[in-house]
Amino acid sequence: MSDARTAVIDALAATRPRDRFVRRSLAALLLLLAGSWVVGGFDAGEAFSERRLRNLARFLQEVRPFPLQGRDWDTGVALGWARDLLADRGYRAALHTLAISILAIVLAAAAGIPLSVLAARTLATPEPYLPGGRPPGRAVRAGWRVLSAATRALLIGVRSVPEYLWAFLLVAILGPIAWPAVLALAVHNAGILGRLTAETLENLPHRVPAALRGIGASRAQVVAVGLWPAALTRFLLYFFYRWETCVREATVLGMLGVVSLGYWIDDARARGQHDAFLFLVLLGACIVLAGDLVSALARRIVRRAS
Amino acid sequence: MAPDVPRRPFPVRERGAVLATIGAAALASAVVLDLRPGDLVPGRGLELAGRFFARALTPAWRSEADFVPPGTSPLPWNALEAAGTTILFAAAAMSLALVLGLVLGFLASTAWWADDPAGGRSPGRLAARSVLPLLYGAARVLITGMRSVHELLWAVLLLAAFGITDLAALLAIAIPYGGILAKVFSEMVDEAPRDAAHALRAAGASGVQVFLFGLVPAAVPDMIAYAFYRFECALRSSAVLGFFGFPTLGLYIRQSFRSTNYGEVWTYLYVLIGMVAAFDLWSGAVRRRLLA
Repeated sequence: MSDARTAVIDALAATRPRDRFVRRSLAALLLLLAGSWVVGGFDAGEAFSERRLRNLARFLQEVRPFPLQGRDWDTGVALGWARDLLADRGYRAALHTLAISILAIVLAAAAGIPLSVLAARTLATPEPYLPGGRPPGRAVRAGWRVLSAATRALLIGVRSVPEYLWAFLLVAILGPIAWPAVLALAVHNAGILGRLTAETLENLPHRVPAALRGIGASRAQVVAVGLWPAALTRFLLYFFYRWETCVREATVLGMLGVVSLGYWIDDARARGQHDAFLFLVLLGACIVLAGDLVSALARRIVRRAS
Repeated sequence: MAPDVPRRPFPVRERGAVLATIGAAALASAVVLDLRPGDLVPGRGLELAGRFFARALTPAWRSEADFVPPGTSPLPWNALEAAGTTILFAAAAMSLALVLGLVLGFLASTAWWADDPAGGRSPGRLAARSVLPLLYGAARVLITGMRSVHELLWAVLLLAAFGITDLAALLAIAIPYGGILAKVFSEMVDEAPRDAAHALRAAGASGVQVFLFGLVPAAVPDMIAYAFYRFECALRSSAVLGFFGFPTLGLYIRQSFRSTNYGEVWTYLYVLIGMVAAFDLWSGAVRRRLLA
């Protein structure tokens, strides 16, 4: 290869983006993942002991539909059994699960939007986008900084607690009704939606809101008219994406006593009805898939309309 | 960034329809669940709530149990140890999930075989071209099955089948996360910009070479960013698995809560929040630099 060509290749290679922080972080993460096997002391070998394999064999036998155990496979009987299960618990559980997820994500959006305005660095200042008439006092500026930082800390804190834990606490306080599941999902996702929306608001071009400020709009007016319509498309994409996750979580929150699918799954397991247990777990998977499809469809509609 | 002068009017009518539909769905859901605003005021739970939240600012530094066996480690050390176990479980599960995600993601991606120009009619080539779509389809179905079951449901399933063992916890997280990673990785590679790939193909590279050197490097930053995000989710899932009996933070939270030692609960909660928030800040910094 000629010297000129190697020189060109070397020059190109030298311009590749190299970020030392990223590379060290990646190395640290990979070290952690690999090292966990060394340090963790997991006793994976015990999982395949004689007793556990017998347990597994018995479990696999018990997941056959109850009317078919000990007999040959009969599709008609199996379908009848499935229909009975669906009519008895399946449909209601699925409906409740979906209802919980929808209400939770709507409440999360309702809470997340105002919080996002407080968390957006471009908006949570005494003079967003353009300086005003009188320069604000030091106390006012400090106050806004504290409010903005506190909101962002709140969003991070609320996001860091898993939904299941929120629901656990709320069930202890409110009892096994639907509110704990709805609120747990709503609070956790408000943190996520708030953070994502704040980023979206920050990244919108400054021309339109600055112009509105220039003609004297207040912060609320700038957000409502200058930022929100442009941010709506992105917001709806995040909204449906998080709804999909809410559906997944709503199925398991039932295990805390709230009447969603998880409740009936745990109930079947506790009663030793391993056939119904597996059937309901598979039903949960179908609900999640349906949610995935609806969410993908909605997101495609939103993207095409914008 | 949006263009300065839009070429089409903004879809105002569709916006109203979408928001109205969402609002109606929310109302219907509230009706289905038979929710009453009155239920939000805790009746008997109010006292418990009061006692619990009163301890928010005074987490325990010492075990609050009535009887503490001699030789038990002090509470803050216990909490940090539990956090360490949580991280180790999440890391081991994530390593399995990454392997699954990379292998299945490769099989579920069409980019390495779909555009191959019809070169050669050797029996090996023909066999490959009829087998590969089946492999792709099988991978897709497997991935969908793996990721549709929530990790806690996998945990319940594996506990019922295997009993309580470390592997059950690891697989409970690794299986769904492997599926999710596979789906996301395959999509990232399939949607990566094709310029470098076309150039390599014009220079005569084979299908797999084009894939490995033309497509994958373009998708790698997104893949790494997503892997960091997934690990954060794995940390949270690992903590929650403690509620099912595994030795992570969730176990201690549940135990202390049931024994009404609310100060201890707050100690564990703060450690959990600190752990996840710290990782969130780190992974956020990495992702910002990767995706810039």
